Amino acid sequence: MLVCKDLEYKVGDFHLENFFLILEKGDYCALLGPSGSGKTVLLELIAGLRVLKKGTILIDGTDCTFVPPQRRPVGILFQDYALFPHMSVFDNIAWPLVIRNMKKQEVHEMVVRFAEDLDIARHLDRMPESLSGGEKQRVALARTLVIHPKVLLLDEPLSALDAPLRDQSALLLKKVSDTGITILHVTHDPSEVRMLANRQVAIT
Amino acid sequence: MVFLIFVLKNKMMHLRQNYTTVRLVFLFLSGVMLLFIVAPLLGLFFSTSLPALFETMKDPQVKGSIGLTLGVSALFTVLAGFFALPLAYVMARKEFRGKAFVQGLIDIPIVLPHSAAGIAVLGFIARDSALGKLAEAFGLNLVGSPFAIGVAMAFVSVPFLINAARDGFQAVPERLEQAARSLGASPFRVFRQISLPLARPSVITGLVLMFARGMSEFGAVVIVAYHPMTTPVLIFDRFNSYGLEYAKPVAVLFIILCIAVFMVLRLLGRKKTKV
Repeated sequence: MLVCKDLEYKVGDFHLENFFLILEKGDYCALLGPSGSGKTVLLELIAGLRVLKKGTILIDGTDCTFVPPQRRPVGILFQDYALFPHMSVFDNIAWPLVIRNMKKQEVHEMVVRFAEDLDIARHLDRMPESLSGGEKQRVALARTLVIHPKVLLLDEPLSALDAPLRDQSALLLKKVSDTGITILHVTHDPSEVRMLANRQVAIT
Repeated sequence: MVFLIFVLKNKMMHLRQNYTTVRLVFLFLSGVMLLFIVAPLLGLFFSTSLPALFETMKDPQVKGSIGLTLGVSALFTVLAGFFALPLAYVMARKEFRGKAFVQGLIDIPIVLPHSAAGIAVLGFIARDSALGKLAEAFGLNLVGSPFAIGVAMAFVSVPFLINAARDGFQAVPERLEQAARSLGASPFRVFRQISLPLARPSVITGLVLMFARGMSEFGAVVIVAYHPMTTPVLIFDRFNSYGLEYAKPVAVLFIILCIAVFMVLRLLGRKKTKV
């Protein structure tokens, strides 16, 4: 469950004030708004990558307002995927597990399992720069999901993809949502979340 | 004859089509510039006999000075790296009041005359300075020591490392660091495993530049330590005491060494590509 209470934040011309959002476990919420309306900033606030001026963020009842990003049970899928270019696909997905000091064998098993689920097992030895947009997105999603976040933040996940890939990716997100994870999906295009979201919130 | 004129005409037409006047002028000026760099070095190489060069390679004073120069420069480059890399990272990532002033401070050693830099370093390590007094309490005299040489080398060369590393860190997308944080990494781990490896080519370039600049430093080093002699000081000493012919083989040997070290380190710093 994600609760944002009375959030306030200011950067440059962007000013967020009195922002409230309550998501139940398993909710798929679309956060709609035009470009430049601060949707990405809001995701970064929830992920802890920016520090709030005022307000409270609760995740599953725990106050995470001042918890650093590395300790928040939040996964974020960036619009440009942010894959580490100096690591192979395998190492990208394994990295969050390696830094948690998991055993090599367990890491290997988990990476392979997630890669198979997301249909990227054949790309594990490749470098991110050689992947297509859709493949990069699935790698980034696998890398985020291996840490089992309670809340998944998606920053325009479908906008950079071509039409056929977009449908595939939407199906994949639906599958992820069906696992019971709470999802906040930021987009400027209401049509892309029509089939996915059970809730919609607009930001102006 | 007619055939020759015809061929020449054709050749000129071909040249005119492929090379505009501007291009030709630029090529000529570039050639002059390259010649300006290469000619004195080639002149020095060709005017030095091989036997004299081999004789110099066996000279214990030359060997000692080369060992001292390379060793001290390498050690102080690594030591400076521990402080310079965090500073470079801060300069690349943080916005703060007085940042331009701090950048100015970093660049000061580049614009100072090196003899003046040597005087400044001497004041810092002299017996009546705080550091000098502390060393004296342990029975050490910093002036004229390898430590003094290292400090002088580092003082004039560290801006090259800081600036190159700063540019390298700036080129790493901040998004990658944010992604790493959200995946569970501490800021230090992000620095170690994401930012530093991605900035590696620039950091290595900076280290090479600092090392090369440090080992070739003369002005600042000669002020803080004439003895023990680094190779640049030895070259000057031989030139001053015995003349040009006696200084040439040491100079040639040191230039070859500098170029070799520079090339090896640059090759090591090359980015490995894998697809």
